[in-house]
Amino acid sequence: MFETENKPEFIKNLIAQDPPIADKKEHHKEILFKKLKLRIWRGKIIVGTIYLVLFSAAFWAFQQGQNTDNIVRSICWGAVSLHILLWFLIYFLREIYRLTAETLEKSSGKDEKHKWKNQDRFITIVAILVFAFATVILYRSFFLNDYLKAAHLSGYIFWTTVFFLFWYPFGTASLLAKLWLEYKIMELNFTKTEKQNLKSQTE
Amino acid sequence: MEQDNQSNAILVLKCKKRDEKAFREIVNSWEPRLYYYLRRIVENENDVWDILQETWLAVFKNIHKLEDPLKFSTWLYKISHNKAVNLLRKENRYVQMKAEQISDNFENTNTDIDVKERAEYVHKLLNKLKLAHREVLTLYFLEGFTINEMAQIIEVSEGTVKSRLYYAKNKLHEVLKGAKDV
Repeated sequence: MFETENKPEFIKNLIAQDPPIADKKEHHKEILFKKLKLRIWRGKIIVGTIYLVLFSAAFWAFQQGQNTDNIVRSICWGAVSLHILLWFLIYFLREIYRLTAETLEKSSGKDEKHKWKNQDRFITIVAILVFAFATVILYRSFFLNDYLKAAHLSGYIFWTTVFFLFWYPFGTASLLAKLWLEYKIMELNFTKTEKQNLKSQTE
Repeated sequence: MEQDNQSNAILVLKCKKRDEKAFREIVNSWEPRLYYYLRRIVENENDVWDILQETWLAVFKNIHKLEDPLKFSTWLYKISHNKAVNLLRKENRYVQMKAEQISDNFENTNTDIDVKERAEYVHKLLNKLKLAHREVLTLYFLEGFTINEMAQIIEVSEGTVKSRLYYAKNKLHEVLKGAKDV
């Protein structure tokens, strides 16, 4: 009854039966786009502020280490600075991994969503726990008197991040390989269909 | 139609990346239909504009949650339906209809009348129907949604949608027949 080629024309006619008042329409759009612009800018400002605060905090910690006469404090503040930067880098790598996984999921059409999402959730929880553990160790090292012990404890900062610094780049690389494979399969299928079409046309 | 869906899906993907220009395009292409749909549910024009405003802001806020860009229309109508129902519920004007008896020969009830050329009749008829029937018929004529999609939008069972559509179509048939006789 309805699926005919005149559908767009019918819809046009139907909408024309009850058109909105032009002034109100324009006013509504003006307000809407103003609100949207504000939201977009607010989002950008929030993200920018977070980045700025993190880098400032890392740099401030680095400066604190430079300005103190106490060797233990100097080591600890340096470790705090690296602690912030390394975890920020892990967060950044995780975002790239997540985006690649989502692209792969959309391009392949297979329902592998739950598989990588559950894995990602597990790794994220582990990362949060490890981050908390490293922070506590770092905090405790401030109360030490022996600078060798403090330097040793600060070493944990690197070891706790190593796993994630490997996991996400390798994970992303493996996803990219899968993505490339999907692309190649798609390309092969396309060529196959094209050949079949040509064959049927010549017959 | 297929091409329209594809280009709309591309716009949706751009919107997910917070592309303001793509969002403007989406608003411009969908708003007339959405306005018509909401006008069939909500009488007051100012309320319609408020709902539209809320709908678009919700779309912008939650578009990253939309997994399949090809299902944008269903998702969009669902949001606007919910916003409209919330407003009507506030004013105690929304009464959920009970599921009517479903006719077995539903699929064979298509009228042989060329509905496309009778937009004016359809529009007049819509105002004579009950809210629930009007809504289903508007979705059916405006977007050509399937029973399943309509059920998702208005959050009722497929059977209920079928029966509402059956009743509304019969009414439409009667009116068109009457108009022809005159």
